[in-house]
Amino acid sequence: MKLRRRHFLSLTGAAIAATLALGTAQAFERSGGEKILVVAGRQPVKTLDPSVKYDASIRTMQQALYDALVKYEGTPPQIKPWLAEKWETSDDGLTWTFHLAKNAKFHNGDPVDAAAVVFSFNRTLKLNKGPAWMLNAFVKAENITALDAHTVQFKLDRPYSPFLSFLPWWYVMNPKQVMAHEVDGDMGQAWMNEHEAGSGPFKLKRFQQGKLYEVSRVKDHWKGFPYDGDMIGGIIYKLIRESAAQRAALMRGEADIVLGLSPDEFDAVAKLKGIKTSTQPALTAFGIKFNTKGKYTSDVNLRKAVAYAFDYESFGKIYNGRAKLQTSPFTDAIQGKIEVPGMPRQDLAKAREFLAKSQWPKGGIELEYVYVQGLEEERKMGLVLIDNLKAIGITVKMVPLTWPNMVARGSKAESSPDMMAIFATPVSTDPDAVAIQYHPSSWGKYYGSHFYENPEVTKLIEEARFTNGWDKRAKIYADIQKRIVADQPEIFGMMRERRVAFRDYVKGFAYSPVRMTTEIDYYPLYIGK
Amino acid sequence: MLRFIIRRSLLMVGTLFALLILTFVISHVAPGDPAALAAGPDATPDMIETIRKENGLDKPLPVQFLIYVSGVLQGDFGNSIHSGREVSRDLIQYFPATFELVLFSILFAILLGVPLGVLSAVKQNSWLDHTIRIISVSGVGVPMFWLGLMLQLYFALKLGWFPLGGQLDMMTDPPAPVTHLLVIDSLLRLNFAVAGEAFVHIILPALTLCFPALASIARINRAEMLETLNQDYITNARAQGISRFRIVGVYALRNAMLPTLSMIGLRFGWMLGGTVLVESVFDWPGVGLYAVQTAVASDFEPIMAVTLLLGFFFMLANFVIDICYGLLDPRLREA
Repeated sequence: MKLRRRHFLSLTGAAIAATLALGTAQAFERSGGEKILVVAGRQPVKTLDPSVKYDASIRTMQQALYDALVKYEGTPPQIKPWLAEKWETSDDGLTWTFHLAKNAKFHNGDPVDAAAVVFSFNRTLKLNKGPAWMLNAFVKAENITALDAHTVQFKLDRPYSPFLSFLPWWYVMNPKQVMAHEVDGDMGQAWMNEHEAGSGPFKLKRFQQGKLYEVSRVKDHWKGFPYDGDMIGGIIYKLIRESAAQRAALMRGEADIVLGLSPDEFDAVAKLKGIKTSTQPALTAFGIKFNTKGKYTSDVNLRKAVAYAFDYESFGKIYNGRAKLQTSPFTDAIQGKIEVPGMPRQDLAKAREFLAKSQWPKGGIELEYVYVQGLEEERKMGLVLIDNLKAIGITVKMVPLTWPNMVARGSKAESSPDMMAIFATPVSTDPDAVAIQYHPSSWGKYYGSHFYENPEVTKLIEEARFTNGWDKRAKIYADIQKRIVADQPEIFGMMRERRVAFRDYVKGFAYSPVRMTTEIDYYPLYIGK
Repeated sequence: MLRFIIRRSLLMVGTLFALLILTFVISHVAPGDPAALAAGPDATPDMIETIRKENGLDKPLPVQFLIYVSGVLQGDFGNSIHSGREVSRDLIQYFPATFELVLFSILFAILLGVPLGVLSAVKQNSWLDHTIRIISVSGVGVPMFWLGLMLQLYFALKLGWFPLGGQLDMMTDPPAPVTHLLVIDSLLRLNFAVAGEAFVHIILPALTLCFPALASIARINRAEMLETLNQDYITNARAQGISRFRIVGVYALRNAMLPTLSMIGLRFGWMLGGTVLVESVFDWPGVGLYAVQTAVASDFEPIMAVTLLLGFFFMLANFVIDICYGLLDPRLREA
């Protein structure tokens, strides 16, 4: 059919008019008559492969598409049975036996059996990427066995108390689907980047790298859902990078949940009709790490002088009241956390007292403060440091760096800055996940940029890690917390509250502090009145 | 002309090779361990080593360079260390989005900038001239990031005339690619609804991106038109009774366009390399954002591929402008 010019123009005009008419605010999206939730965030999903990588956006997708033996839920986070209905541990802590649910199925209908669990753990250990570090020093692939179709046994090399706390992040994949796409011995990695072989409550519908990632609900999911009826058809995770654009999308109804609002944008939307918010303290700790091997900050009295000069109330001001001061190196949701007596708070008299005991009793030195370029809150903390330390005769040089450059500088004691702003989120609620940050094995990692070394503390951390019985461990961790505070390897800062804003028809939002800053659990979400 | 084309082509190849060496050296000596970044903050040294070996980062630098060059010559730009995806696949996805944005931007800049420059010259010292000159100055001073946000907040959020961002509505499926340019592919597939939707999505980001170029083109064109309109042959044409439209639109504009063409060529190249702010504001899935994300992550192979690609198109744009020069001015052809 030959298209005449005027037909072409009128059709184009009609298309533009129709599109403009659709540009007004609407409620949630619909597709094929089903309700679709839209989540807006700024972090792309680089891969879906559970054996290869995890971060906030990746793990949000992995949690939706896959199941694990156990799952974290609630505040405080509890480990709940999931693919494993129950489990036992031997008295010596070396053998763990998991009994699987018999009705669990992968999305293609294959049963989730013990062989699939064994394959999934073996694959992750063999590829030696992503979550492998959690278990690779404590269990070998050949010691993970299927006793029968629904029973899996792990024989650890030595008792490892945090073992169970890491299992929620080890997702189970369908071996047949994965290995059917193996190329050149890659164990299916190329395919698993943008496809899934899971049994989770959602399956992958669209993966448009750099734009959006859509999952559709598995209506007959083996675990069922915590709501009745067909309340949601799927979820789209859409990339909206700017805080202002996220706010605009929420207001226009183009996004139902937004994950990246600045404190001021968050406060603005919290007052709007039709918007609800969630602000809960996270596992994430913020600290200003000292380089304990540095020219100046190797002096514990200088570190204490700086810690007592700092205005801790500024955290609340910078985060518009949504920050809680730490009362221990462990954050609130970590098991075994105690209120450590004598946590530093601003006290200029004490600051001067400690300074007088240091090698620079009159100050007269400059300390470098390194923070993430573009992160306004960390920049403001630097300004607070400049102001506070002036009172004790110390100047501060603020150095913004990109995150990779910060990590590079913090990887060696010679180059690590005097002070570095660090947010650290442990991957589990087990106290070992935080304590290990103060062990020499963490040197070179961003949270180990203090190069803290106390042989007694190191010994206690190792002892607690391999001790069976919580009562014994709790006592050791209490001691560890007090000793770390006494050594002052950092300014122990705050637990920032996680800010999530959503439309009021979004129901079921369940926060768990063990999840990363912009990570959410899709499973309980639905659209209601 | 043929000798000119051959000479310039050889020069382009040499320049691209030099660019490749420079980018390789800079990206490999910059601080940051891409293997450690890709492995994650909790990775053990052996996990980092696994990734380093898989991506050939354990080999000596000259060997890495030779492997990379040999790959490029076969169209293989390597893999992203973070996503594992082939870089060529990423470029096929992201570059056309940027190219289409820049094409529309330069089109808007020409369609608006040239007439504004002509009007400003013809109506010299009038209120119209002064208004257009204010626009020209604003193009240099107004930050693109701010302009984009303002356009978005007013026309998209407040008035609801345009979408907030993206290339298409999230529920719309793009057409099967032909050129990988969304508006053009939609038209080629006779899917006019999607073409219209894609065009509406590109308007605000293209207007944002075109503003500095529009201002420069208007300014240069005004200056050239003023000079040309004062030439003797123009006075002669007027005396012969030739219509004003023909004098301005044909005789004067053709001669005034030469420096404007240079500006268009330069601006095209700058736009290609400077889309990251606009792409960030409007969530445009283009190569600007891709380049920044990979640069921050020290992901070598995408960094080098993007640099080569943008360098190539920058040179190509100026090459085309030079050809156009020859077409416009016969004296240059003979020279």
